[in-house]
Amino acid sequence: MELIDKLTVLADAAKYDASCASSGAPKRSSKGKDGIGATNGMGICHSYTPDGRCVSLLKILLTNFCLYDCQYCVNRRSSDVPRARFTPEEVIKLTLDFYQRNYVSGLFLSSGIIQSPDYTMEQLIRVAKVLREEHQFRGYIHLKTIPEADPALIAEAGRYADRLSVNIELPSPDSLIRLAPEKQLVSITDAMGTIESASQESRSDKRAPKFAPGGQSTQMIVGADASDDSRILHTAESLYGQYRLRRVYYSAFSPIPNSPASVPMQAPPLLREHRLYQADFLLRGYGFKVKELIGAQGNLPLDIDPKLAWALANRDIFPVDLNLAEPQLIARIPGIGVRSAERIVSLRRLKRIRFEDVARLRCVIEKAKPFIITSDYHPPQATLESNVLRRQLSDQPAQMALWG
Amino acid sequence: MQVLCCEDDFECWRDQARQLLRQDIAPHAVVWEDRDHRQLFASEPLPASTPMAGPTAQATRIPARLLDELKRAAQYRVSGRWNLLYRVLWRVAMGERQAMLAGDRDGSELQRRIKSVSREAHHLHAFVRFHPVMGRGGLDYVAWHEPAHDILASASLHFAERLGRQRWLIVSSRDAVWYDGETLHHRQPCPADWAALAESVRDNADPLWQTYYSSIFNPARLNSKVMQGHMPLRFWAGLPEGRVIPALMSRARAGAQKDGQAEAVASKSGKVIRSAAYAKDDSFAGAKPDAKRPD
Repeated sequence: MELIDKLTVLADAAKYDASCASSGAPKRSSKGKDGIGATNGMGICHSYTPDGRCVSLLKILLTNFCLYDCQYCVNRRSSDVPRARFTPEEVIKLTLDFYQRNYVSGLFLSSGIIQSPDYTMEQLIRVAKVLREEHQFRGYIHLKTIPEADPALIAEAGRYADRLSVNIELPSPDSLIRLAPEKQLVSITDAMGTIESASQESRSDKRAPKFAPGGQSTQMIVGADASDDSRILHTAESLYGQYRLRRVYYSAFSPIPNSPASVPMQAPPLLREHRLYQADFLLRGYGFKVKELIGAQGNLPLDIDPKLAWALANRDIFPVDLNLAEPQLIARIPGIGVRSAERIVSLRRLKRIRFEDVARLRCVIEKAKPFIITSDYHPPQATLESNVLRRQLSDQPAQMALWG
Repeated sequence: MQVLCCEDDFECWRDQARQLLRQDIAPHAVVWEDRDHRQLFASEPLPASTPMAGPTAQATRIPARLLDELKRAAQYRVSGRWNLLYRVLWRVAMGERQAMLAGDRDGSELQRRIKSVSREAHHLHAFVRFHPVMGRGGLDYVAWHEPAHDILASASLHFAERLGRQRWLIVSSRDAVWYDGETLHHRQPCPADWAALAESVRDNADPLWQTYYSSIFNPARLNSKVMQGHMPLRFWAGLPEGRVIPALMSRARAGAQKDGQAEAVASKSGKVIRSAAYAKDDSFAGAKPDAKRPD
């Protein structure tokens, strides 16, 4: 099989992994050195595909032959897909070529399980090792970790990779048993634990070799089972806490060709995935807890974002006086982000904050308006009922459906 | 009203601005003309500044951060770009520090320009497409890239960090940068032979990359608005993948949205792995098409 045919198959097989991040690596540079590659901690999106997703890494499978039969996966052994397998050398050549042409900032390599978990993991490690040691490649490497592989292999992978990831796959243990018969929750969380303890060891001793400095991430498939958003976010929250994950990715289940009857034929609304990412962002960056974002209803609302939903459910806190409030509370106002909150605080050291100052900061002023007080402004909507306000502020006004 | 021109050069503007400040000349009494649109009656030379009594003489004190911000905002291409910079400098020198902050009328414009400039540097780092030239002209890689602001000189060293000792050239219609493996050289205007070299490779296709791009795209999630927001249309012509985007979008709209598989994959024959033992056989690496795909 020609290289280009393998690439056709093995990039297609890799697209269901949502992560393409090249962030979190320490600063490395090849300036004036042999070899190539740099990282700066931020990551670069080199392109965007027409689905709006960023292309930052060469994201491929080493092979899509697979012994497992996970129902949601296009590469399960019972799936009638074209199969291919790269040699490690082919992956290395593609990575270096794409990197130098400035198409990508590194490699995200994953694989179907062939022969055994250990054998598969060894193949992945070999690619990373040759890139680092023979080609002195300093770009970003993300390796998918096979949960059932020997912990010694996981430890070896972390010496070459910037990021490791083990996919949690589904939000509940029951769904995993039903849809991924060969996988076990305990081996997944054990692998996460192995990564976290190796990483902790390396962080605590400055002389120790670096271990996956970009941390670990995971992915949860949304909409392949009946789990609600509360379940999904609580799972994420506990993973963030227990294994210090950098990111949990949510991948809306994408219907696959020749789909088995055990998974839905319909994709969940992409808006649901979007709301989960917004909620996740609030968990990581704003100090929100899942129980604040989701009440008894179980799912995030689709018509408004989770921060606005929280504000509407907590009207007693609002309106907030921008000249007096704590920075953390300002960042909790709908339409005002952490960055804008910082700017408001530095500006108010020099002068009283007026409404036009906030407007100039390019906050989402329409969203913020009902919730703020400035030296010259008090919201007329302060007394408006929450459900009326919600209708005014929702992304898709409910009435539209009547005519749309 | 004084009319000045600084040849779109920051150091030149800085000298002029320093003199004006010393002479107490307010922003409304001076205007800078653009290099490319100089008017006929233009610029008398700045009246020679009265020689200072010594280095101590009323040196204007401004925060170090302001100088850096003015320098970055100066890369923003807009007619009359230097006038705003002097107004901000003047106001801060007069003690109005908020003139450089985003909450202020001038400050917000200053910060907006800085943001655009830094966004344009990100665009450079993301969307430059290097074509290998195998030593032609003493170079390894050549690219054509058209930034909207004057960022080529200040933002290109990034590629020396990526490419180590390799030698490369980036050409735009305004200027060019050349890295010889050790040092970065900036030329404005771009020498004609550099432009010709870049012109000769800029439309080269790359089937491997175009294949990857087409295959990693999920047609069931078509969202061209988000794509265009992040990757403005003006860059598409310079991207090998830009040429396959319209076809990918129209095929996705025409019905490929049922599932996420790339068309090129769907047209190949599939292979169900019958037993676990079969998958252990390494020889199927080049899998023979032995199963017909059901329609």
